[in-house]
Amino acid sequence: MKALTLVLLAGIIAAPAYAEDRAAAADQAGQDHTRHMAHAAAPPACAEAKPACAQTADPTFAKDGRLWLAFSVGDTIYAASSRDSQNFDPSVVAATATGGVIDANGEARPKIVALADGTLLVSYTARPEKSYNGSISIARSTDGGKSFSAAQPLVDGAGQRFDIFLASPKGRVYAAWLDKRDADEARKAGKDFAGSGIAVGWSDDGGKTFAGKKILLDHACECCRVSAALDRDGLPVFAWRHVFGTNLRDHYVAKLSANGAELLGGRVSEDEWATTCPHHGPSLAIDSAGTWHVAWFTNGNARKGLFYARSVDGGKSFSEPAKFGDDERTPSHAALLFAKSGLYRVWKEFDGTTTSILAQMSRDAGKSWSAPRVVASTTGASDHPLLIEHKGAAYLSWLTHEQGYRLLPLPREQAAATTRAQPAAALTGK
Amino acid sequence: MFGKYLRLVAAAGALLALAGGAASAVEFKPYGRGSFAELRKQHAGRPLVVHFWSVTCPPCLAELPDWAKIASEKKSLDIVFVNADPDNDRPRAQSRIDKAGLSNLVQYGFANDFVERLYFEADKSWRGELPFTALIGADGALVTVTGTIDDPQVADWLARAGK
Repeated sequence: MKALTLVLLAGIIAAPAYAEDRAAAADQAGQDHTRHMAHAAAPPACAEAKPACAQTADPTFAKDGRLWLAFSVGDTIYAASSRDSQNFDPSVVAATATGGVIDANGEARPKIVALADGTLLVSYTARPEKSYNGSISIARSTDGGKSFSAAQPLVDGAGQRFDIFLASPKGRVYAAWLDKRDADEARKAGKDFAGSGIAVGWSDDGGKTFAGKKILLDHACECCRVSAALDRDGLPVFAWRHVFGTNLRDHYVAKLSANGAELLGGRVSEDEWATTCPHHGPSLAIDSAGTWHVAWFTNGNARKGLFYARSVDGGKSFSEPAKFGDDERTPSHAALLFAKSGLYRVWKEFDGTTTSILAQMSRDAGKSWSAPRVVASTTGASDHPLLIEHKGAAYLSWLTHEQGYRLLPLPREQAAATTRAQPAAALTGK
Repeated sequence: MFGKYLRLVAAAGALLALAGGAASAVEFKPYGRGSFAELRKQHAGRPLVVHFWSVTCPPCLAELPDWAKIASEKKSLDIVFVNADPDNDRPRAQSRIDKAGLSNLVQYGFANDFVERLYFEADKSWRGELPFTALIGADGALVTVTGTIDDPQVADWLARAGK
């Protein structure tokens, strides 16, 4: 028994916390790249049921104050809760027996939503072998995450990815996703079809069943996340990258009509980016005055970099795109959040060695912003930065391989912003 | 006598390799930190295309057969493919490579999750959008293009580089 413990312990110590650079390890074993062919497969990444072994972590706060994360390790989906954002108690949500690959990257990832009655909804997309056509499944827990129902498909048949869920104060759960069914039918009919469709559905029984479930607009870009926020009247607004004309991949923001039949809004900007797969979706936030705020990345002829704009008229018009981030450091993957304390935005920058998360806040609905401030950094792989509100305060939710999962409060004071060269030490010491 | 024996062994080996090639997986060499510079070094003096693609990028998949055609037409051109998906998507990547007729060409696969650095090493402003192609002239001049093979920049470069 003791020997077994020792062996296990040795295994744990010997295994790198994360196979940070498997190619480099292979290089050490053989300098000549042609000899790579003879090398054994790369050593596996860590496979324990903890966020630090995952590629992505999606956060939500439950009514009881616990932070929940949804993530996947291998082919298993986990929901894990924590009271201190450091120690997580994992529950297995679903083990995919179908042999699919779980979407777990910056753009598409297992997600979790906590409903007002305590119900937890976990969603994930599995892609079957040899296909990128996914199907979205949802598992529910009504016992505080102790157990989850068998995962149920959101839509019958495949062709759905990039789901997002949000719960309205009235108890309705809205879902949106990118849906390839119209594209597939067009292809079968021998017609060209750009992108996929954006579909919406809703549930009035805590996520057990979803009604609506219809493609409301076609030609969404098929490789970028959808972002969502609730408007003041409780109806959802969605932001996504859209295919305009033959191949211009700019952004669209639109609100679900009260009858659930239409998405009404408009184009954010004309960036003139004729491209293919940016893998880089937008972020949306709506403030208490009902102003829509959107942040996005483009590399178009008209503009390149990270941009921000807002609409005060329900998407009919948007403010002139305003650039943010340091172009010398590849700014990317912005997230926006409106919290009681103000409007926040964070994004990634990379200088060739270190990935930093920069943060700014605005107290005047996005007209002016505090100086960018480094709130966290890492020198290894990391997830996109996410923002989450809890009790009126804004938090950065960020998973990195080196530091694991971090939940960091964002500075509330606009005036006290420091220069970008100084990391906010007080915030990262948690 | 001895020579004939050697030839036989070589022939048997080649047959085995052929059989193995048909039956076994495409070898995705690990693409990690420093791989981009290493590739440039290895192919110095020859025009080189390093083409990055993903199974979750439909336009990438649609144009793979076009790359196969270029590879068969332009023998003076070195073409290396880099699949930017994680390990668990490699079986899909393999089937796509097979289907496109690219199994006999050099294939790499991302073997490092710190993708920002892999992007940065190829192009400081690349955020991972695909397809992405690095075009390196025989003189070492590097041009990077986000977009498909019919992008004018790619098409012009290919027309000039490989005969």
